[in-house]
Amino acid sequence: MKPAPFAYERPRDLDAALSMLAASSGSAKIIAGGQSLGPMLNLRLVQPELIVDISGLAELKRAEVSGNELVLGALVTHADIEDGRTADVTRGAMRGVAANIAYRAVRNRGTIGGSLSHADPAADWISSLAALGARVTLRSLGGARTMPVAAFVVGALESALHAGEIVEAIHVPMRSASSHWGYAKSCRKTGEFAHAIGAVLIDPAVASARVVIGAIDTAPIVITDAAELFSGRIAADYKQRFDASVADGLLAKAGIDDAAQRHIHVSVLKRAVQEAAA
Amino acid sequence: MTTIALQVNRRAVELSAEPRTSLADFVRDKLDLTGTHLGCEHGVCGACTVLLDGVPARSCITYAAACEGADVTTIEGLDEDEVTTELRAAFTREHALQCGYCTPGMLVSARDLVLRLPDADERRIRVGLSGNLCRCTGYVGIVRAVQSVIEARRARNIAPLADGGRTSLGPVGSGRAAPGRSESRPALQTLALASENATPGSIPDFIPATVLDQRFTLAHPPAKVFAMFDDIAAIAACLPGVSLKSPPSPERVEGLIRVRLGPIAASFEGAARVERDPATLSGRIIGIGTDQRSHSATQGEIRYRLLPLDDGAATAVELSIGYTLTGLPAQVGRPGLVRDLARRLVADFAANLDRHISGVPSEARAPAELSFWSIVSDVLRARIARILGRRSGAG
Repeated sequence: MKPAPFAYERPRDLDAALSMLAASSGSAKIIAGGQSLGPMLNLRLVQPELIVDISGLAELKRAEVSGNELVLGALVTHADIEDGRTADVTRGAMRGVAANIAYRAVRNRGTIGGSLSHADPAADWISSLAALGARVTLRSLGGARTMPVAAFVVGALESALHAGEIVEAIHVPMRSASSHWGYAKSCRKTGEFAHAIGAVLIDPAVASARVVIGAIDTAPIVITDAAELFSGRIAADYKQRFDASVADGLLAKAGIDDAAQRHIHVSVLKRAVQEAAA
Repeated sequence: MTTIALQVNRRAVELSAEPRTSLADFVRDKLDLTGTHLGCEHGVCGACTVLLDGVPARSCITYAAACEGADVTTIEGLDEDEVTTELRAAFTREHALQCGYCTPGMLVSARDLVLRLPDADERRIRVGLSGNLCRCTGYVGIVRAVQSVIEARRARNIAPLADGGRTSLGPVGSGRAAPGRSESRPALQTLALASENATPGSIPDFIPATVLDQRFTLAHPPAKVFAMFDDIAAIAACLPGVSLKSPPSPERVEGLIRVRLGPIAASFEGAARVERDPATLSGRIIGIGTDQRSHSATQGEIRYRLLPLDDGAATAVELSIGYTLTGLPAQVGRPGLVRDLARRLVADFAANLDRHISGVPSEARAPAELSFWSIVSDVLRARIARILGRRSGAG
């Protein structure tokens, strides 16, 4: 299983990378850590004419707190976050997510920007960053635009990226001191693709909750005003108020016809809620 | 070919290789360092794990060209390494290997755990080794070996190093290369058109692996809708990614369907058979096609049934779309992703059909193309437009 031949370019900066992408009219693929694209290239599921390797671009290897948010360059790796080489504004939430992505050898090269760009519904950052209310900056030669991560993934392996555009940075808002975080996933084997993901960010002090049901083979279900999942009111006893039937209804509405699948998703979400309350 | 300069086992190496050469193939084939083993070649089994800038990485899904200037250590470079020496003794003592195929990758990952884990917690070791598959010895001896080395080192007051000693951000192995490119672009592959062999004489019935049902209503009488289903060219135009090769006959149609799932693209060329039953206002289109590039094949069928609504003023369209996919894309083991793709395809088809029958101009299709079928190339759109003799959408 070797990839089909491709040409390879290593641009000197982001603008050069964007120019190469623009000039390729769709026949080029950006590669960073290559931990998602590499397998697809090897399996010859993807056969681009040109690979533009951005893994060396220093301008995408940054992590800084700016105002009320952490700005992560697209090339920050899962291990960078796991090990705390980047500042943590989520009070450990992102470190916990990062530490359980695939395997250490993969986390040492896999990047947060690459994972988002790949838009695999089973990937961790898509669901967790949506729950944390993060935003993503996309850049093309024409300029930059920023959108919520929750709106970035539009379907299986399908993101809002236009041709010629790449993920430049991720903006993670500061997590409030009174908020609770829970993240759970179900994998048939440790490190494998998740079959269900539940992510919850609950702040009983201000009665707010963001809930994400992910790994549903399409864009995750993001509930920004999740009171309905907690019998209409988010309070300190939210763990007891969690209403599994409402979650089941949301999944049915999203087209998950298989009751067993819905049960797995609801159970995983329940675990996330319990973790948040613990 | 491109020239790649890096350090392997503390030795400077400069060799030319194709850009598609994995780091594993580079060290094995060019440097005879065959201790790095290749198992799955897609990052799952861990047999190819090496140290890149001192920490573990998969050499099968890391291309050598991406490691320009990097510091690579293979199992051969760990002969004198203190931790690996202790691990080798422990592996021998605990019977932690049998055939030995996974052992080089296992040792590299185990070394990383010995350095990083605070204590010999069995669960953490097992999770830490979950990316290295062993198919004969089993993991009991391996886990025990790693535990014993961690215990011994912590007992000697050697502190763990939680981050493995890494200080810089970004993918390991990256960042020390000058900008550059490979000299030659691969010649554009000229793919033989598969029209002859992809067009079987007869199109067999089949039982679809996946069936999606869709129901929608149209504010037109059933007879008018049924006539529309007889217009194969118009139906094809409503199917995103479909283009016809020649004007269809009433019973048989030949053409091409292009689908894309993220970066995976396939172009199925084939033929379809058309059946209609005016008595029951129902019918089906059953087709078969192959994709040369990905060596995959698909069979698909569209069944439809029209039911009168509102005393025949409107029509309920019941669509049942079934398909079976074989070959490489089907082996990815992620059937859910393909189902999501099919679901979006069916939704687009229904929406296009509705617009077509309602007489909404084809321009209205632009949003759907932008969102998902953006891949349907301008060429295809132009061809559809030519066949239908009308202006196409956003192309």
